Amino acid sequence: MEKKMEERIKNVMSAVFEVSVDKINDNASPDTIESWDSLKHMNLIIALEEEFDVEISESETVELLSFKLISIILNDHGVV
Amino acid sequence: MKELKYSEILKLNKEIGTNLKSNPYNITVLSNIIIHQIKEILEYPLRSEGINANVEIGDYDNIVQDSKKYQDSNIAIIFLELCNIIDGLQFKIELLNDDQLDEILEKTKSEIDLVLQNLEKTSLVLINKFTSLHFCSFNIRKNNLEELADQLNKYLENKISVNVRLVDLEKMITNVRGGNSLDLRYYYSSKALYTVAFFKAYAEYIRPFIMSANGKAKKALIFDCDNTLWKGILGEDGFDNIEMSSRTKDGAVFSEIQAMALALNKQGILIGLCSKNNPGDVDEVIETHPDMQLRDEHITINKSNWSDKVSNLKEIAQELNIGLDSLVFVDDSSFEVNLIREQLPEITVLQVPERLYEYPKMIRENIGLFYNLSFTAEDRKKIEMYKHQVKRETVKKEFTNIEGYLASLELKMTIHLDDESIIPRMSQMSQKTNQFNLTTKRYAEGDIKSFIEIDDSVVFAFSVSDKFGDSGVTGLCIINFDTINKTADIDTFLMSCRIIGRNIEYAFMDYIIDMIKEKKINVIKTKYIKTPKNEQVKEFYDKCSFSLTESCDSVRNYTLDINNYKSRQLNYIEVVNGKENGRANKECDVSSI
Repeated sequence: MEKKMEERIKNVMSAVFEVSVDKINDNASPDTIESWDSLKHMNLIIALEEEFDVEISESETVELLSFKLISIILNDHGVV
Repeated sequence: MKELKYSEILKLNKEIGTNLKSNPYNITVLSNIIIHQIKEILEYPLRSEGINANVEIGDYDNIVQDSKKYQDSNIAIIFLELCNIIDGLQFKIELLNDDQLDEILEKTKSEIDLVLQNLEKTSLVLINKFTSLHFCSFNIRKNNLEELADQLNKYLENKISVNVRLVDLEKMITNVRGGNSLDLRYYYSSKALYTVAFFKAYAEYIRPFIMSANGKAKKALIFDCDNTLWKGILGEDGFDNIEMSSRTKDGAVFSEIQAMALALNKQGILIGLCSKNNPGDVDEVIETHPDMQLRDEHITINKSNWSDKVSNLKEIAQELNIGLDSLVFVDDSSFEVNLIREQLPEITVLQVPERLYEYPKMIRENIGLFYNLSFTAEDRKKIEMYKHQVKRETVKKEFTNIEGYLASLELKMTIHLDDESIIPRMSQMSQKTNQFNLTTKRYAEGDIKSFIEIDDSVVFAFSVSDKFGDSGVTGLCIINFDTINKTADIDTFLMSCRIIGRNIEYAFMDYIIDMIKEKKINVIKTKYIKTPKNEQVKEFYDKCSFSLTESCDSVRNYTLDINNYKSRQLNYIEVVNGKENGRANKECDVSSI
């Protein structure tokens, strides 16, 4: 029973930012999620890399600033 | 926790946190590098033990200032990282002259003094030892960074006191899975030196400090005996054939285990035994076996009997007057390990690894369970006190209600009727089985073959499997029929000791009685013949609703009116006919009986 990529991303974000999964929509970003600061951003990258077994480059790191962007970048890495 | 993903730890930690109602246990971590990921990784394993851990991380590189602010925490952890004492120290240091090196040394020493002074009243301070391994592990010649680490560590050794302990980072680095303790990417971008994997190893390593500080250090180490303290099964292999010395490869492992137990005992940890064996047999080993290292004076409590281990362990805790959560129990059997883990979850249960050479390593990995922040002469006195408190006679107890557990095992018993293909095994069982053996009649293969061939007798054997595996052919029953008087006599009823405790014998008896009923027999006669080894089955037939007709010291005679038989109908044991499994069974012509 493979979870869809979107669901897995939301689970990771929910765990890292300590918000419930339903609060994470397409626009979820540091503007809408209060706890999303630079330290949590580091945790997010680490958790996403572990979950999807990818390595996120430095330039991508600074771009991963919303749920939508995360999905796009993971797609680029071949995640479905 | 090693197996959990970082995001899973975050999620689970939050969940447990909201459910814990006890007072928060405040842990402060002060650091000169970025270590924020340590928070949940430290909290989670402690919260899983019921300690409401709450980790706060001081401001970056503000160790001295924050040490004053956080002095009321339960525990303060100091992460003074060598390479960031000065930004980029790991490479700058090689270019410094002696005066500059001295300056750094003295500056750091006085910072340590100031921090520890501020934390004087804090109940426990853990300060990391300095390590240069991150950057120097390929050096042939010792460099300045290594020299500085050595000098600072020497200084730290003098700081150990009632409330100050050192944490050896180098041990942690060795323990990190895959060896990746450093995150160079994040070190260069954000001064976050360590990986999640490292923090997991760190949390695991310091756990004993915190458990002990909370009064949760384990007090007693209880061992099973067969294949746990020695190689072999005492009841089957005999006193002379169990191995626990360096004369044999396997024996050497058990010799090491016993020595480790002795060392723990010297430190004040109580040693106990919980084994399914005849009490006299185990006592004989403890008192007279030349290779046994654990002797009477080391063993505080000895529950070697035929009761179930759940009851025994409960009694051990009671008689030692300590909680179940103070016990560590070691056993080789998956059955026992899972039973105790399920029924007595407060006990930490360790299973002897399949690869025997990993057994000592497994014990070493768990040595922290016993760590005690304070060791005094009082601890040695305590052991004496416990010994006097303990009753040494074995007490027969009812089985606890373990039916739920037995049901979960998916027990299956396969019956083999007059099966010539297993004659060698059946003969062997009649010769080797001593304990669960009602009449102890020894038969050669030819004897078994005769029983099978004679129309008036039937040979039943069974094999047992459960979800852990197949125990093989482990039971035997030989019945002789008197066709004239329409009676049956149970000549042999025995079972291998490795499947005791699962009520298999009752399922077997139900099956046999059903088979006998089909032959229109009304009366069954049998007897229990006493030997030095089969005391535990003295009342087996009574429990099977047979009537005792006469008894003397060495023999108990029974009779059963088949209509009075009370079957157990154990619905958690599946019984199948060997024939259905494709085994070639010699046809037993039942119609003639």
